[in-house]
Amino acid sequence: MVFTSHIFVFYFLPLTLAVYYLLPDRTGPRNAWLLVASYVFYGWWNPWFTALMLAVTAINHAGGTVIARPGAAERSRKAALVLAVASSLGLLVFFKYAGFLQVNLNHLLGAFGADGVRVWSIVLPVGISFYVFQALSYTVDVYRREAPPARTFADFACYIALFPQMIAGPIVRYGSVALALRERHCGVSLFASGTVLFMLGFAKKVLLANPIGGAADAAFGAAAPGAGVAWAGVVAYALQIYFDFSGYSDMAVGLGRMFGFEFIKNFDAPYRADSIADFWRRWHISLSTFLRDYLYIPLGGNRRGPVRTYANLAIVMLLGGLWHGANWTFVAWGAYHGILLIAERAAGRAPAWRALPRPLRVAATFVLVLGSWVWFRAETLADAAAYFTAMAGCGVPADARSAVLAAQVFEPGRLVPMAVAGLLLISRRQAHEWSAAVTWPKALVAFAVFLVALAAMAAQAFNPFLYFQF
Amino acid sequence: MSTHPASRFAVAAFAAVIAGVPVVDGTVDLARRVRPPVADLFTQPPTQANLRATEHAMEEGSAVARAVRPWMLAARFLGLRDGGDKVLRGRGGWLFYRPGAEYLTARPPAGGSMVNDALAAVRGFRDELDARGIRLMVVPVPNKESVYPDRTFRGGRPPAGALAPETAAFLSGCRRAGIPVVDLFAEFRIARAAGAPDLYLATDSHWTPAGLRIAVGEVARHLRAPAGPSAYAVLPAPVRRTGDLVRMLQSPAIEAAVGAEVVACERVVRAESGAPYADDPASDVLVIGDSFLRIYETDEPGGAGFIAHLARALGRPVASLVNDGGGATLVRQDLVRRPRLLEGKRVVVWAFVERDLRLAAEGWPVLALPDLPRRIE
Repeated sequence: MVFTSHIFVFYFLPLTLAVYYLLPDRTGPRNAWLLVASYVFYGWWNPWFTALMLAVTAINHAGGTVIARPGAAERSRKAALVLAVASSLGLLVFFKYAGFLQVNLNHLLGAFGADGVRVWSIVLPVGISFYVFQALSYTVDVYRREAPPARTFADFACYIALFPQMIAGPIVRYGSVALALRERHCGVSLFASGTVLFMLGFAKKVLLANPIGGAADAAFGAAAPGAGVAWAGVVAYALQIYFDFSGYSDMAVGLGRMFGFEFIKNFDAPYRADSIADFWRRWHISLSTFLRDYLYIPLGGNRRGPVRTYANLAIVMLLGGLWHGANWTFVAWGAYHGILLIAERAAGRAPAWRALPRPLRVAATFVLVLGSWVWFRAETLADAAAYFTAMAGCGVPADARSAVLAAQVFEPGRLVPMAVAGLLLISRRQAHEWSAAVTWPKALVAFAVFLVALAAMAAQAFNPFLYFQF
Repeated sequence: MSTHPASRFAVAAFAAVIAGVPVVDGTVDLARRVRPPVADLFTQPPTQANLRATEHAMEEGSAVARAVRPWMLAARFLGLRDGGDKVLRGRGGWLFYRPGAEYLTARPPAGGSMVNDALAAVRGFRDELDARGIRLMVVPVPNKESVYPDRTFRGGRPPAGALAPETAAFLSGCRRAGIPVVDLFAEFRIARAAGAPDLYLATDSHWTPAGLRIAVGEVARHLRAPAGPSAYAVLPAPVRRTGDLVRMLQSPAIEAAVGAEVVACERVVRAESGAPYADDPASDVLVIGDSFLRIYETDEPGGAGFIAHLARALGRPVASLVNDGGGATLVRQDLVRRPRLLEGKRVVVWAFVERDLRLAAEGWPVLALPDLPRRIE
């Protein structure tokens, strides 16, 4: 089920909220109801997907139980950890990367003149990367004694399946909601801040990301884009992915508040970053902090000298890229960011860079990030290379078709939302904080844009979120 | 701590909207004695297909959504010049079919182009007809966007034509295979350069009577139409048409704002009697194709489309078979079901819009025609 769909907004959400608040004000029955609702939400895509999520839940709950057993020997704790992590990652690798590995194996075999293996056609369960990471965070945190074990299986299953953030994050650590799973209350103020944040996120997605996405689709799908169209296309994609994903995160956090949870803020004005390292402190914060705490620091972080630090950065960014999808373009995207991060670290606090006015540093960082989005959005490495060529003005010369392509990219229906999106990027207001205390102007603005967005939703075609594919 | 009244308002307003819409929808359904689509959830097994179908039915069946949708579409179209998934708004009031524009500019889909399938289907059809002593003539009809790319955007320079790579590959493939193909792209480009009147309607994806006449002239030239007076004459028959692109926008407010076009059609009639043109199934020419053959022919004013005008150019009636939107395959399937239409034929003229080379819903299967007695010369 998609948040910006008729069935979610007008059926699933009111029913789930109504039953939730009719139940006794205790976490037991309310968690149980949230669990049922979340499985319905997830099973709506494909009922069989729920079996996989249940398996990941059971594996990690069992692992956590063994690890947290009073008096458990370190050896058995470690064995349970390894088993839970390996089987969870094994499922992720199988469902997400098996086909990719087989295709590349066939390329390799073909180079040696050998016959290839049969490539399996495996359906990728939506959100698997997110809920597997959440499950891993639980097992690892319980092993590290940084989080208590779940009170009941139902509580843990509720944490894994919690529908507001299950499909596309933010990746919620168990430790951050463990207390709320045991005890939480939602007053009118918190609920209202949740509704305001949900409404703003909904409008970001429907009124900005969707129409802007049309320009990006036309440019990236073009056989022969010119330089102007190529630049406009990548700027459009940068805006689309930000307003799509941050809109989803706002809706997720808003829904969490409606049920008494407070999830991590996932974006902090990333396009106002003045370096790539700063960008990663602001973009998809729940993933970057996850990779930092569960991969970069265990690898040694920056404590073992510059060479090891660079290697760790490269590993983290390559795996972070691969996490987004089984395609070499995502690996290239990770490598690109890794190289930039290493270059920044090697340069240290270079006085020349710091001497630049901040707006210039922000603009330069934005251009570098635009380059990364080309890798991210292109379907193949060859497409990405062709797109860079077009951006450099060395693509196919303009012909009569250029006007038709320009008409699709530079439509007022795309340009006006892009302009609004640009103004919002410049503005210092962020929905997460803006919605925390609801006042009359905020309530009225949020409600007005929500009504317009609902009307727009009724007139739009199917609009899945970009991050669902990851 | 007391709650700010604005918080109470936000909660109440939000709840009223998300709970109010299903209540209104349910009430309307009950008043109309229609079973609400949501009921399907409890009567069908929860398979992926059933869930998608129910969700779609709930969206489409919502009385609130149906009431709001046309106004939102109108606001987008009139305020932001946004024609949604189907329509691209050009300059000077011209509308274009967005999939046609994408056909011209976008890379073929990952699965590959259908041009090779189309060429195989055309060769197969040619061979089947050859075996029956019938000649095939192929007429790919240009998309409006290919003829008027300059009218999609203010930067375009007239007169200009554009040839999609798939269309170019198809035309050259036909020529290599020795299949007679009528190149309307070149003809339309020449006509525009010579200052011809508009060859396509401003708010419709189809050609004008002027465009149609050029196509007829070119096909007739290939068929070596006899010179001299025709058994047919033409009568002026102007019609007011609401363009198909306007209708695709599904908003009465847009239809009212854009208005209808007046089209100067010419109806073909018998020169002697003034009787309207009528097909002759026994004719030696069979014309098959899609909506480019239907417009003005069975639409208003009738007898003023490609078929009637081709008959006039040839000086004799033709037989025809038309399938809207099915020029690639459905019309051939119709022919397979009605093989007697091929009796006594010398030529089959097959017209289909070029975007079918990528977008034909049924693809381009090679079809076998049922056996017929061989034509006796």
